[in-house]
Amino acid sequence: MENKEKKYGDIQLVHRMTVIKRIIHWSFFLAVINNIVTGFYIAYPFLIFGKTPAQSDSISKGIINSGETYQAFIMTWMREFHFIGAVIIDVIFIVWLYLAFFSWKEPLYKSFIPFGDKIAEAGRMVKHYFTLKDKPETTRYQDPLNAIIFTIFHLLILLQMVTGFQMYVASFTGTSAVGGWWPWLMHFTTDWTLVVFGGLTGVTLVHLFTMWLIIIFIVYHIYTEVWRSVMWKEGDILIPFGGYKYIRNKTESE
Amino acid sequence: MGDGKKKDAAKNENDNPFSTPEEDNNFNFKWDPLRNIADDPNEVLKRVDERLDGLEKECFNNKKDKNNNLENIFSLHGVTRRDFLKWSSFLTSALMLPYIFRPRVARAANILTRTPFIWLDMADCMGNTEAFIRTAHPTPAEIILNYVSVNYMESIMAPAGYQAEARRIETVKKDKGKYILVVEGAIPTGLNGKFLTIGAKGDSGLKIAKETSKNAGIIIAIGNCASYGGIPAARPNPTSAVGLSSVTNRQVINIPACPANPVNVVGTLVEYILVGKAPQLDSLGRPLWAYSGRLHDNCYRRGHFEAGEYVRHWGDDGAKKQYCLYMMGCKGPFTWNNCTTVEYNQDISFPMRAGHGCIGCSQPAFWDRMTPFEKPNADAKIILPMVEATADEFGMALFGAAGAGIAAHAIYTGVKKKRESKKTSEKKKSDSDKNDDNNDK
Ligand code: SF4
Ligand code: SF4
Repeated sequence: MENKEKKYGDIQLVHRMTVIKRIIHWSFFLAVINNIVTGFYIAYPFLIFGKTPAQSDSISKGIINSGETYQAFIMTWMREFHFIGAVIIDVIFIVWLYLAFFSWKEPLYKSFIPFGDKIAEAGRMVKHYFTLKDKPETTRYQDPLNAIIFTIFHLLILLQMVTGFQMYVASFTGTSAVGGWWPWLMHFTTDWTLVVFGGLTGVTLVHLFTMWLIIIFIVYHIYTEVWRSVMWKEGDILIPFGGYKYIRNKTESE
Repeated sequence: MGDGKKKDAAKNENDNPFSTPEEDNNFNFKWDPLRNIADDPNEVLKRVDERLDGLEKECFNNKKDKNNNLENIFSLHGVTRRDFLKWSSFLTSALMLPYIFRPRVARAANILTRTPFIWLDMADCMGNTEAFIRTAHPTPAEIILNYVSVNYMESIMAPAGYQAEARRIETVKKDKGKYILVVEGAIPTGLNGKFLTIGAKGDSGLKIAKETSKNAGIIIAIGNCASYGGIPAARPNPTSAVGLSSVTNRQVINIPACPANPVNVVGTLVEYILVGKAPQLDSLGRPLWAYSGRLHDNCYRRGHFEAGEYVRHWGDDGAKKQYCLYMMGCKGPFTWNNCTTVEYNQDISFPMRAGHGCIGCSQPAFWDRMTPFEKPNADAKIILPMVEATADEFGMALFGAAGAGIAAHAIYTGVKKKRESKKTSEKKKSDSDKNDDNNDK
């Protein structure tokens, strides 16, 4: 027993994610996955629902019979779920923005705004990734590298929101069921994308391309968390489930 | 024709019917089709009637001239009075006006045939001109455009050379603030406009466009080229061609499309005759009554779009069943125009009905932004320095690179860790050896 403790160091629990943050994390995850799948379909409808006389059902060709036109509103459903996912993401983004500044537990801005040695600390973490040495000490707070990368991710989400709303407002003609302020607000906040990205087609392509950056982020994120769990043995992967990880004052190579 | 209600009272003889919008400040007429036309409809009608009366007096010699004018024109083309009535009702509703305006629209069309016109051709293919003057069975819109009193239009005018120039310059002077200026084609601005020279004196198109727009009563840019530069301005735009609104500081009404729909041109002009100013425009300078609807939202194939039923190859079953052309590159979702409701070719058809997708010809820079025309927008190339790929190719390449990086890092970590643990275990072994030695001692 003593021996083991010596080997792994003193183990201490640290609370990283509140229940709210965990709920946000997983709804965000589901909404983003949902929007990637449905978004792919909208950009490039890979299934034909509804059979014509010469076509037979074939999954490999992407033809699935779902009856007459009036029964098969597959694109409608895809768009519907895309919009529902988008609403969830929008709400989460706003909550995230609030928590990033006003969370009583851990306001993120303290980590991502390059105050003092935050950048140097993030640099040390990158160095650690590549040398496996000099692991920065685990503290009660998120490490600056993650804070910066999560912030970039949320900026990508913001870009998706802006371009998405620009595409959404395209079908409004100056008014809506809830009044004229709604399309006006969307025009007011997102019309600049038309100028920057070259019209609605450009906005669409930016929306599509940013999706790839988000997919890359997801893969990176999962990889680093698994890597940390394996290398540090501090249970990083448990954070979004239980909210806790461990601090060990000793690393394996020591 | 033109037998609308006459109101003799309250008529100011000095009222200039071509008065510019500035003088019309108290003319409280809300034209926006999405709002009420005006607070007091009677007031609106009164003002419109006054304006029409004044213009009729100015344009026609006598009552007989006025009443027979359109009939003379239309009977030549086999258009009956009934056809014309139908057409004027159609135009009234296309303009989103209440039916009470029908006779007034007819009167305005009558006046339109006598309003002085200058039609300039800049860098273009003359497709708009061709579309209007070469129709086999012209509708009243095209006929009216053929009979407007054109003072200058290179393709159809009798005078040539210096004479033609003189005609234009004279109109600009004599009908100052009255004439309708229609410009077709983009205006090259490179080399100070020398890429396009016109007429006996070899003036640049840029100079002519600037000069004639200065005094015009109303300026209309017709077709995509005149509106936004169109094909002459497509990448890399060697002549630095631009749309008309970029070279004049006057208000320009854009009637884009390739070619512009005659109904949209005549409708806008009729509205100008009725109220004396431009209709409400959208952010791209297009009249809202014609360009406020997105094609995709008014397309008769939209049901198939929603059902996920797409044409996948030209002439396949889906094509025969008139499925949605989204996968064949239809740009209807990105395009605002009224093709699907007003229609082309003597009001017979429009691209989606004919079985080809929209190419977005009423949007700025459509030649660059809407291509490839026959592939979905997702297949369009993103052009960045060093990169020319579709969004998916580019994204997938980055994704692959990131994946390779992650795999490399994982392998690197594994190898390095193994080596290190070997080292430590060796060290431990030697350490314990030492310990053993110590114990021995
Ligand atoms: S054919 Fe074009 S405009 Fe019509 S529904 Fe399909 S994508 Fe939309
Ligand atoms: S359907 Fe599209 S490409 Fe065709 S005329 Fe209309 S706007 Fe132009």
